[in-house]
Amino acid sequence: MKYSKYLAVLVLFIVAAALPNYLGLYQLQIMNFVFVYIAFALSWDMLLRSGQLSFGIAGFAGIGGYTSVLCGYNFALSPILCILIGSAVAGIVALFVGSQVLKLRGLYFSIVTLAIGEIFRVIVRNLEVTGAAEGILLPNAIFMGNATKTYWLMFAIATFTIIISILFQKTRIYYALTSISNDEIVAASSGVNIFKYLVIIFVVTSAIQGMAGAAYWQIYASVTPEGAFNLGFALLPITMALFGGVGTTWGPVIGSAILSVTAEYLKLQFPHGHLLVYGFIMVAAILWFPSGIMGVFKQFTAKFNT
Amino acid sequence: MINSIVNQFKQRNFLFGFILILAAIILIGIYKPAVLVEGLQRSALYALIALPMALLLGIVDIINLAHGEFMMVGAYFAYFMSAQFGMDPIVSVLPALLIFFIFGLIVYYLTFKHIIGKPPLNQLLLGFGISLILSEGMTAIATNAPRKLSLDYVSSSASIGGVTFGTFEFVYVAGALIVLLGMQLLLKKTATGQAAVAVGQNPRGARVVGINVNNIYLLIFCVSIALISAIGPLFMTRYTLFPQMGSSFTLKSFSLVAVGGMGSITGVVYAALILGMGETLVLSSLKYGKWAEIIYFALIIGVIMYRSHQRQVK
Amino acid sequence: MNVRKIVRVMVAVSLIWGALTTGALAAEPIKMGAILPLADSTGKDGSRSMELAVKQINEKGGLLGRQVKLIMMDDEMKGDKAAAALDKLVTVDNVDIIVGGVGSGATMGAIPGMKKYGKVVVWIGGASGKIEEAMAGQDWFFHLHAWDYQQGALWETGYLEMEQKYGIKRKKTFMAYEEGAFGSGSFKAGKPIYEAAGNELQGEAFKSAALGGGDYRSVLRHAKEFGAESFIWTGYDKDALPIMEQAKEIGFAPGLFVGSPPGWPVDFKNTPLNQAVMFYSYWSEAQGVKNKNSKMYSDAFRKEFKDDPVTYFGPLAYTNIMIVAEAIKRAGTLDNAALIKALEATSYASPMGDTFVFKKSKIIDHQAFASPKIMQWQNGKAQVVWPWEVATAKLIYPFPAWDKRDKAAVPAKKAKGEKK
Repeated sequence: MKYSKYLAVLVLFIVAAALPNYLGLYQLQIMNFVFVYIAFALSWDMLLRSGQLSFGIAGFAGIGGYTSVLCGYNFALSPILCILIGSAVAGIVALFVGSQVLKLRGLYFSIVTLAIGEIFRVIVRNLEVTGAAEGILLPNAIFMGNATKTYWLMFAIATFTIIISILFQKTRIYYALTSISNDEIVAASSGVNIFKYLVIIFVVTSAIQGMAGAAYWQIYASVTPEGAFNLGFALLPITMALFGGVGTTWGPVIGSAILSVTAEYLKLQFPHGHLLVYGFIMVAAILWFPSGIMGVFKQFTAKFNT
Repeated sequence: MINSIVNQFKQRNFLFGFILILAAIILIGIYKPAVLVEGLQRSALYALIALPMALLLGIVDIINLAHGEFMMVGAYFAYFMSAQFGMDPIVSVLPALLIFFIFGLIVYYLTFKHIIGKPPLNQLLLGFGISLILSEGMTAIATNAPRKLSLDYVSSSASIGGVTFGTFEFVYVAGALIVLLGMQLLLKKTATGQAAVAVGQNPRGARVVGINVNNIYLLIFCVSIALISAIGPLFMTRYTLFPQMGSSFTLKSFSLVAVGGMGSITGVVYAALILGMGETLVLSSLKYGKWAEIIYFALIIGVIMYRSHQRQVK
Repeated sequence: MNVRKIVRVMVAVSLIWGALTTGALAAEPIKMGAILPLADSTGKDGSRSMELAVKQINEKGGLLGRQVKLIMMDDEMKGDKAAAALDKLVTVDNVDIIVGGVGSGATMGAIPGMKKYGKVVVWIGGASGKIEEAMAGQDWFFHLHAWDYQQGALWETGYLEMEQKYGIKRKKTFMAYEEGAFGSGSFKAGKPIYEAAGNELQGEAFKSAALGGGDYRSVLRHAKEFGAESFIWTGYDKDALPIMEQAKEIGFAPGLFVGSPPGWPVDFKNTPLNQAVMFYSYWSEAQGVKNKNSKMYSDAFRKEFKDDPVTYFGPLAYTNIMIVAEAIKRAGTLDNAALIKALEATSYASPMGDTFVFKKSKIIDHQAFASPKIMQWQNGKAQVVWPWEVATAKLIYPFPAWDKRDKAAVPAKKAKGEKK
């Protein structure tokens, strides 16, 4: 039973690795959406496991995206280096912000993370160095637009996020943080330094979001305030994680994959009303599978085992 | 200074807060009288839109991410009542209240009823789905074309001491006061309202003492939907109508409820006053107006942080 | 029960993949791939006009003996979505040529893909000068819109000519612009031109109702305090009527009241507040009086959709398809090099009132655009007041004060009845 799990993961990775040979450029482009949403949704979920509901994905993705494009534009650094810098800057911002706001709980924390992202959006829109409202265009896309290489880049980022998430569930931090989300007072009295762990996980997840955003906008060789700080990046990953099932590694992954592909598919089928159908899917999903696809899967395996 | 205003109100030290606010009003009034009027009108609109959410989210802990979309649907209702039957939008507030109470009932039975008691996050997803259905459904019915009734009275104005200002938007001030008083009466003076507060604080305990919890959720939900939808007609007298207009007001309302403090109806009104006045004041400066949004978000963060700090000190 | 649920999910997923991976069937018709923001009024006018053009072409027997098929993709006004749309059109549908385009942001996202494929692109949107820079030396790129600096300069010419003819005053100009790329880009491009003409220019950004704003009073007050003789706002259709109402509310009525949304809301023609409001555009239905192509287009559009185009992206998108169709006819093939040559020989009398001929712009090789026009709302109709060759009415100047308006002269009520 235990080995079959690893086997399944192995098969999944082999399939993912083989995909560029079989997919056209358009499908590879959609895979970019899938991978970037996996990184967003899963990193968001990692923070949620510690009891903090963040609306800040768009903000950190935007910071990463802007930093990396600015590095490329002003210093002509290699795109990969730009992405790493973007990730690092998002992490550093998260460190400063997190050490201040992680004491907040519940909706208060959510609103503050949202507001921080919005502040950065207004700043880049008003400054000349960030290209003001028109944004910045890079002369060339990463890998000169080679779709296979781009696929590997996004695949690597998504895989990295998955690995971090799996490792994270085996560390002391995870046990500490689950104890926070269960009962903070008990956790605190048993000597767990809640705050330190929260800051660490906030920095790590924000750096991942920054990295994904940085890579994403390197692919399109441009950033605009409304595009990079798009609130869709805050809400859609949350939706995807919930759709797949929160609190697990594979839930957000599956949710992101299904919903990103579905969104594109609906767009082809109903050019004018795809979002309407998307809305109905969401409502139906939450009413019929309230704990997401992973929840259904667990119920199923539980029944199968008895 | 602003933080201390909130704090003082939090401690019910009304007198001190009152004096501070009065001083601020006089200062602004001398500096830029129009800011006072327009800031008040803007704050009132913010409060009006956020109050129904404060009731639903603050009192019974239901997150409705389709808040702004219900307002949008209500606004379209008024538009078509006016286009088809020549009904004045302000008059159509009354039928809107009734119709959208029933609409809320249907929405509740079809959706929200089934996720009460489930993880609260599910409400987010549900609300997001409903908001898409409402805005895209409205696009399918009424197209994306922006609409705006041409009403003569909305640009009515008055002049006092050489300052010309609009008078119509005092409707929002009146509306906010009525809704505020109504909610206060409901929550403080009626058994249902007190039951709602009890349900919000401890649903299980409320059930134990014999409160029909389901009915309370249902009632508060429908009242909130009816109110926000009936604000739609008032909103659309001054603003252009289009199916995607709701989402920004959902986020705005969220922020106001968070700044005002969960569970506090009056807190939302103070929050709206601070944010609306602050925003109008910054906007009134030609040079720094473009940073108004930053001030707005910084105030949100500042007030929330300060209050959390206060709680920890205590 | 649960097994069935899982099977259902899996079937759905595999169906979706199947549909995504099987795209192109036998490539019989000539395929044009269009990228437009379908949910926006510009995209709606554009997509309908393209359909109309393709229908007309096919009724006349198509091109090179083949039918024309138009495949439309929504860019949702986002760069990443435009890039995905482009990939889909080129690799799944195997389209022969790319057309469309509205917003600069969406265009920017699609540029890397356009460069990668090198397919012929005949693009009607994206006025930002940054796009021109990015397209330097790309011979397959044909642009059918003026760059931001060009339109600013041409409108300035219009003002100078109107100053002489009508004696308009605009020493003090106030420009209010929406804070996004569209508004602030226009301001940046217009600023040096205005100031070079010796005018005092004051500018301020506002939050468009399209993005959750809608209170313009502080900006209007600043314009009033500045003593603006000319007031220009750059924003969206959602801002149009509230700006007029709030200007009336604070008693602000400068001599020239100018707006420049991409299109006007349906209700704007019914309001008494529209009288003498000027605006920038590239086309008005009123041009049909003077121009038979324009009239033919408007009539055909109305017949097909029982509706009127509200933005110039309607006739522009129509022009887009027609220019491509004529080039394909001339080339006699879909080969890239031949098509580029044939496009270079374009001379198309467009319903926009101009003849489109490709020329070099500052940076790129192929640009052709309709002349920018200055229009004015007069008695509920949009009239062209400049350039003189295409003008359909004389300028009403100055903008009448709010309390000196003859309400009876405006057919507001009648227009309302018409709509039913």
